[in-house]
Amino acid sequence: MTKAYINGIGCISPQNSIDSEWFFDSINPAKGDYFDALEPSYKEFIAPNLLRRMGRAIKMGVAAGNIAIQQAGIEKVDAIITGTGLGCFEDSERFLLAILNNDEQFLTPTSFIQSTHNTVGSQIALIMKCHDYNYTYVHRGFSFESTLQDALMLFEEGKETILVGGIEEHTPNFVVLNRRAHKFQETGTTPIWKSTTPGIQMSEGTAFFVLNKAKTDKSLASIDGIQTLYKPKTSADILNKLNGFLKQHNLTLADIDVTLMGFSDDVNFDAKLQELLPSIQKESVAACYKHVCGEYHTASAFAMWTAIKLIEKQKLPKVLAISDKEPSQIKHVLIINQYLGINYSFTLLSQC
Amino acid sequence: MISAIGNNVPESFLSLSQSKTGIGKINHLTTRYKDEFLAGEIKLSNEALADLVKDNNPALNRNSYIAMLAAKEAVINSGIDTNDGLRTGVISSTTVAGMSKTELYYKEMFEKDDHLNVLDTHDCGDSTERIADYLGNVDYVTTISTACSSAANAIMLGCRMIKHGQLDRVVVGGVDALSKFTFNGFNTLMILDREWCKPFDENRKGLNLGEGAAFVVIEGENALNLRKGKALAEVIGYANANDAYHQTASSPEGYGATLAIQQALAMSGLNPSQIDYINMHGTGTPNNDLSESFATKVIFGNQVPKFSSTKAFTGHTLAAAASIEAVISVLSLQNSMIFPNLNFTTPITETGLVPETTLVHTPLNTILSNSFGFGGNCSSLIFKKA
Repeated sequence: MTKAYINGIGCISPQNSIDSEWFFDSINPAKGDYFDALEPSYKEFIAPNLLRRMGRAIKMGVAAGNIAIQQAGIEKVDAIITGTGLGCFEDSERFLLAILNNDEQFLTPTSFIQSTHNTVGSQIALIMKCHDYNYTYVHRGFSFESTLQDALMLFEEGKETILVGGIEEHTPNFVVLNRRAHKFQETGTTPIWKSTTPGIQMSEGTAFFVLNKAKTDKSLASIDGIQTLYKPKTSADILNKLNGFLKQHNLTLADIDVTLMGFSDDVNFDAKLQELLPSIQKESVAACYKHVCGEYHTASAFAMWTAIKLIEKQKLPKVLAISDKEPSQIKHVLIINQYLGINYSFTLLSQC
Repeated sequence: MISAIGNNVPESFLSLSQSKTGIGKINHLTTRYKDEFLAGEIKLSNEALADLVKDNNPALNRNSYIAMLAAKEAVINSGIDTNDGLRTGVISSTTVAGMSKTELYYKEMFEKDDHLNVLDTHDCGDSTERIADYLGNVDYVTTISTACSSAANAIMLGCRMIKHGQLDRVVVGGVDALSKFTFNGFNTLMILDREWCKPFDENRKGLNLGEGAAFVVIEGENALNLRKGKALAEVIGYANANDAYHQTASSPEGYGATLAIQQALAMSGLNPSQIDYINMHGTGTPNNDLSESFATKVIFGNQVPKFSSTKAFTGHTLAAAASIEAVISVLSLQNSMIFPNLNFTTPITETGLVPETTLVHTPLNTILSNSFGFGGNCSSLIFKKA
């Protein structure tokens, strides 16, 4: 089975993940019921003439992509694949409000042009002069997962180096509306994996990865497999599918040193993962990440960034751990993500 | 398939074979420009669509209705049974998803609670999951958004997933309901024609927007043989390339388009001379049609096959365009017909290319279909008669 080797990573999140030295040592808490991304000064990543017009999602995406590419030490890629649930929402909203506030008059095209979901992928192609394969996936909690599935197929089809990334942004208005729709709750004293109440902490961020077909001296870890699960009926279904997934890779849960689980703090969405937790803890060490990055369509990209860091540092930071059990080594990391309790995915990463 | 030229495939075929455009006066979209521009609207209100879908769930929007109807028609027409234990996927595509509803309630939502559920159906994944649930027993879903080439990329991904053994069959296509958002977007870019669009005409002024949804069922050979089914057509070539020239404009020489066509041809194993007909992207904008014409000349030289753009029938349906044109291509193959490029009179000076302007009856074995989008996204598909 084809693997993908990760040769470069770049991540913008509510935490200081843009600093390659940061390893969960200082944590920014949620701003009550939501997180904002901690944005860097973009000047070192993006030319000023481009920067001036870019929306936030584009800036965050291009910067994270740039960091990943620099780390991999490459000049060109054979494919650019992005995933985003809501795309360039800021530009979409700006154009929409201009239409509504001015009765369809006095409009300028910039925000419409940038509102297209594939803007980040195409901006990176423009900057890199990349004429090759360019796809954007926009399916809720499968947006980032689809980029990985596609990349693994492209490697089998002969591509060598692929840039993949997850992108999400929110706007102050969008936060207000979702709060009005009772989708949020403030972080409380109950740990995220034990929530008894509905509500998430909405968030945003971007994470990009340079994937290579062959292992090189830059390789940080490998992606061994990815599977998505649409509307599984029970937690037993998920466990069953998980065992089958691991078996394809000649592994069992006992081989998984750390399992990163996508608890979102909403009891309704997390119910099946809560039921699954004891089975995971029996064989593996369970950990979680959405209390650190918040919840968004492509939070699994942050989870993958986290998995790579765990493998690199050979350590599970206390802040992510669910129990006191410590992994003796970190060779295999499994991500079980969920979004709205509808989109589930398994991503398997290994030391290489 | 559902679009301005019909609510299903038989109705669409009738319009195509009678050279009857679906583009006309705007009736359903709320816009101050409704008397100034034409559009290719589906001739049904949301209420009428809800009746056809037989679902009055208030969370549904126009995008979901038309996606569900078209996908269901494709599945019924194919004869597949999603309950037979084989792995079925749904890969859809859309550019503005639930925007046609969001734009009606966005401001009101800040004050009133009545329409806050619009937040749940605004995103692109919504209509895809509605299709999956409407069909039942779907194992895999994803959604693509690469502007106006979206559905071509959905078709391409579907083929690849079958080739890689990840799915046995897949329902692929695209959907976009007309919205004030896209209408004003294209108007602001000044690429809308106030009259009927004239693809490949020297005096073309721009595109007419349309709306629609179209899906095709793609099966792997094993799945098809297992149920002793018969295919309508085969996808024998596909490619995606990027123009990397400008966010919205195509390069004058059509570099990305040339790459996509070349790579699709290479995969199909065909020589350019073996393409019987090209269903062009041909939006009617000065930029696209010139750029696509140049790319066509680079590939085909002085032996350009018969070609037409069918956008003067349907309008430009954005994410749905490539799947609508895939259905039209299959109809062409099945019926040995080339549907005309309406409203054409004068060839473009620089290229001199002349499309088919009347219905042509001719045996067709292979069709190239192009779709290009914002962000330099260029995709080409090659269909072969089964």
